[in-house]
Amino acid sequence: MALIKLNDLEIEVEDGTNIVEAARQHGIEVPHYCYHPGLSRPANCRMCLVEPYGPIPGAPPGTIGPARQLATGCTTTVRSAPPERKLEEKYDAIVQTDSPRVKKAREDVLEFLLVHHPLDCPVCDQAGECDLQDYSYRHGHDKSRYLEVKNVPPKKDLGPDVLLYSTRCVVCTRCIRFAEEVSGTGELGLINRGSHDEIDIPRSHEGTPIQLLDNKLAGNVVDICPVGALISKDFLFKSRPWFMEKANSVCSGCSVGCNITVEYKADGVYRLKPRFHEDINQHWMCDDGRLGYHYVNSDDRLQLPLKRVDDELTPTHWADALTVIQEQLSEVGAEDIVVIGSAQATNEDNYVLQQFAHDVLQTTQLGLFGQLPGEEHKFPQFTIEADKNPNTAGARTILGSANGNVVLEDDALWEKVSGAKVVYLVSGAPERPLGDAEKAALESVDFLIVQDILPSEVTQLADVVLPGTTFAEKDGTFTNSTGWVQRIRKTIDPPGEARVDWEITQQLAKQLGGEMNYHFAGEIALAIAENVPGYADATHQNIADAGIKLAGNEQ
Amino acid sequence: MVEERRILYEHLDVPDINTFDVFRQYDGYTRFEKAIAEYQPEEIAKMVLDSGLKGRGGAGFSTGEKWSFVPRDIEPRYLCCNADESEPGTFSNRYVLEKNPHLLIEGILICCYAMGIETTYVYIRGEFTLGKKMLDAAIKEAYEKGYLGKDVRGTGLNIDIYTHPGAGAYICGEETGLIESLEGKRGQPRNKPPFPAVEGVFRKPTVVQNVETLCNLPFIVGNGVEWYTQMGPTYADTRFDPPKPDANTGTKLYCISGDVNEPGVYELDLGLTCTELIEVAGGLRGEEVKAVIPGGSSAPILTHYELDTRLDFTSLTLAKSMLGSGGIIVMNETRNIVDCLLNIMKFYAHESCGQCTPCRWGTPWVRDIVQRIADGDGRKETITRPKFGVAENGRWGDTGETEEIYEDLDLLESVANNIANVDTMTWNTICVFGIAVSWPAVSYMRKFRPEFEAAIREGKLVTLPVAEATVPPEENYAYQQRFIPKEFADL
Ligand SMILES: Cc1cc2nc3c(=O)[nH]c(=O)nc-3n(C[C@H](O)[C@H](O)[C@H](O)COP(=O)(O)O)c2cc1C
Ligand code: SF4
Ligand code: SF4
Ligand code: SF4
Ligand code: FES
Repeated sequence: MALIKLNDLEIEVEDGTNIVEAARQHGIEVPHYCYHPGLSRPANCRMCLVEPYGPIPGAPPGTIGPARQLATGCTTTVRSAPPERKLEEKYDAIVQTDSPRVKKAREDVLEFLLVHHPLDCPVCDQAGECDLQDYSYRHGHDKSRYLEVKNVPPKKDLGPDVLLYSTRCVVCTRCIRFAEEVSGTGELGLINRGSHDEIDIPRSHEGTPIQLLDNKLAGNVVDICPVGALISKDFLFKSRPWFMEKANSVCSGCSVGCNITVEYKADGVYRLKPRFHEDINQHWMCDDGRLGYHYVNSDDRLQLPLKRVDDELTPTHWADALTVIQEQLSEVGAEDIVVIGSAQATNEDNYVLQQFAHDVLQTTQLGLFGQLPGEEHKFPQFTIEADKNPNTAGARTILGSANGNVVLEDDALWEKVSGAKVVYLVSGAPERPLGDAEKAALESVDFLIVQDILPSEVTQLADVVLPGTTFAEKDGTFTNSTGWVQRIRKTIDPPGEARVDWEITQQLAKQLGGEMNYHFAGEIALAIAENVPGYADATHQNIADAGIKLAGNEQ
Repeated sequence: MVEERRILYEHLDVPDINTFDVFRQYDGYTRFEKAIAEYQPEEIAKMVLDSGLKGRGGAGFSTGEKWSFVPRDIEPRYLCCNADESEPGTFSNRYVLEKNPHLLIEGILICCYAMGIETTYVYIRGEFTLGKKMLDAAIKEAYEKGYLGKDVRGTGLNIDIYTHPGAGAYICGEETGLIESLEGKRGQPRNKPPFPAVEGVFRKPTVVQNVETLCNLPFIVGNGVEWYTQMGPTYADTRFDPPKPDANTGTKLYCISGDVNEPGVYELDLGLTCTELIEVAGGLRGEEVKAVIPGGSSAPILTHYELDTRLDFTSLTLAKSMLGSGGIIVMNETRNIVDCLLNIMKFYAHESCGQCTPCRWGTPWVRDIVQRIADGDGRKETITRPKFGVAENGRWGDTGETEEIYEDLDLLESVANNIANVDTMTWNTICVFGIAVSWPAVSYMRKFRPEFEAAIREGKLVTLPVAEATVPPEENYAYQQRFIPKEFADL
């Protein structure tokens, strides 16, 4: 640990911490553009200048004063110094972040940053979450001294989801470094020189793109662009950032379990942004996850329970749907029932489901359903996993947690399903196609109950369809492939009469005389903590925003 | 009359000196052979340190001292010869490359021997096609004669030289920009530290040395340190107790251009005055000296009041300018200083690598302000501001007085100083290109302020008579641009 005097604070930080981070840890802002904790540090923006103190050359020993040159806070790191090199006998560094010299330097750099800037905040997506706005407001001049003509470099279409408004670019090179270092795809570079610097993709001499910014991590450049230069087409002109609510959640796109923020309004989800988690996704997320939320807002979402009348799925009300199910279930023995949980659903959903199966239906025949495996994509600093479900690990353990439960998957499951009398299948996997064997097995079931979010090949085969909810509409937890249990949070209301999955199951249990009375997901998590091996600490309170790692999964 | 002292250039005009055989007749490679036969590598490094040789590329840093920073336990180490000569007004390296390339090779061999280096890259300005061709031919010959390659002349040394053409950017002359470019990247200077001596080419310890600097080595080895130190003045730096010798030893290849009768490269002892130099170059063309740029276009300008300034590293530093690359540009009474500054600022605005904010957007801004003034569009509004100069404490600061100044001149000075502050010698940029911009901008404006004011007042460029155009030194303000250094005394 290093002891530093930062302005008039005395603070301790880990060896190797830079001044920007040391200050941030103690609530002091050192403005910066090019520095990003997940990337290399070119120190090119010169925004983060701070004033280090040290021995004054030529002065009597022990005299310290400000260094002649300011230093960049992003590249100035502190570490514990040997006793003879301590300053004022105890400090490993003394740094001012708000001295008159520092303030002047910041003003000067900000003035330069704005000379060519179009100041088009009123039509810029970034307005409200822009480092140029914020720092100008907090550290800048109030008027411009620039009278000359501004550069107007062109707007560019860089790839499927990314637009570049070159006029707004501050040439911090974060985007270039991301494509070099994290995705390793290297599509971005600088063209021209000096004040004509422009970010670009490779082009022929005629200007036709040779390579687009088209990799599965591309969306991250929009997040890390400190200004409104890189813009997501998906979000373009959709909303002002301050009009959206935000909730910390987890991506449901694959078993990595990237930490995200869901940004939403009453009428739907607007965008997903990655949230830092050191051990899981660092600062990033993939575009499959980022742009994969649209099904949540779909007009096709199941909004009412459906039951088969004359071979047609017909809307009905909950009481009717549950009564129909109750009738069917009471006619068959436990050995003829299969209950299938979902790797798309939360631990809580699956827990209530297995409890229903085990305690109420008294069957131990469970199965696990979910999205089909896709491809794995490996990048230098990021991997998108092949398992496209967020909660395979959690669902598997939890479904199998009661005495005697068997959790069948794949072929074994479909074998068991063939010839079963009643099957209760929770899906929640959007656009899940069915293979021939799966289809045949489900067709052979006498009475098929499907709980899902969208019409699908699965719901087409159902006798009763129950409208469930997506990750955006409920609280709960997912367990990722490396054993991290993390929380998702309810943002928007479910559409129509759709309901949270565990609530549906609980309602069904009650209908059948079961004794189940959970009021909120956290309560179920307490039951999980008590009953599922490894989950003892996995209460919502403990998990909070950082997640917890299951016992036995430490590396 | 001052005589040239030709050492590096002595045999420059000998026919076919570019060939091994002719070079050999004029002691070619004997100094290298002497180095190997008579001295240990450390002894050569010590000789170079004792010779007081300072880098000729611009920064004027002690070559021997630079070598002492190179960690000897990290392999491989590299030598990088800076032949990117692009400072306006500088053209001495080019003659060596074109006419006497074996001399450079011999210098490289001595450096490699002294520093235990096996690989040298010569980064040659892209436009020097002839220079590169001649050097490549000489290198080929040196390989054939066994002075390069494996087991050089049976000594067990392995030394290779690769030439690399520059990609047409001034900033690739900056040593770390050069290294980046050499590595195949965009020519953008690196943040320092680490300095190249510790982490240079391919992140390995690297000695970066200008062509002229390396060409001095054969003569230091051949004739000895004592012989070498007799040339040029050595001052005493009295900031140290006891005073530290501050050497300006050896000759310098001065590139004299502008309003002189015989422009060209002149090899002279360090320490001659501007007046003497102009005389050597055939005298002034025109009536009167208006200004002299002493060290390439980035150096602060000297006025006719300063023609006694000795053109060596120390004296020019004390005159708040620099010897830089030794490119001397003389201007007579017909030259308009606003126009000159515009010319220079166009160059810098074009050449900023664009990496760091103040330089990327400040340099063209300075150019545009000067352009506006030169076009007659300078704003006539004035402001009253505190007058800066030598304050009571003897340092640069607020004198307590005020002055009226055209808003655009204040802006010009302020923008330039915000890139790199010439008064405090502090900068917020990655490399010293920033100071290379603000030095001329601020010094031209301050020392020739009447000419800038006339352009604004009259709405067009007005070339004033020399006496009227120049701010006299008594008005300390224009001349005092830096910390006032403590005394230096003649030894
Ligand atoms: C903007 C800039 C341009 C430079 N251009 C050159 C150049 O063209 N040739 C050169 O030898 N040194 C140039 N230098 C100086 C080099 O950075 C470096 O100091 C020099 O090559 C070291 O060699 P020396 O010690 O032998 O002089 C330049 C420096 C700066 C800041
Ligand atoms: S586009 Fe954005 S991230 Fe990329 S260099 Fe410009 S400001 Fe930085
Ligand atoms: S890697 Fe997986 S969890 Fe992360 S954003 Fe992509 S789909 Fe979502
Ligand atoms: S000061 Fe100018 S030339 Fe030097 S690194 Fe910065 S932008 Fe490039
Ligand atoms: S954040 Fe430090 S220089 Fe850009």
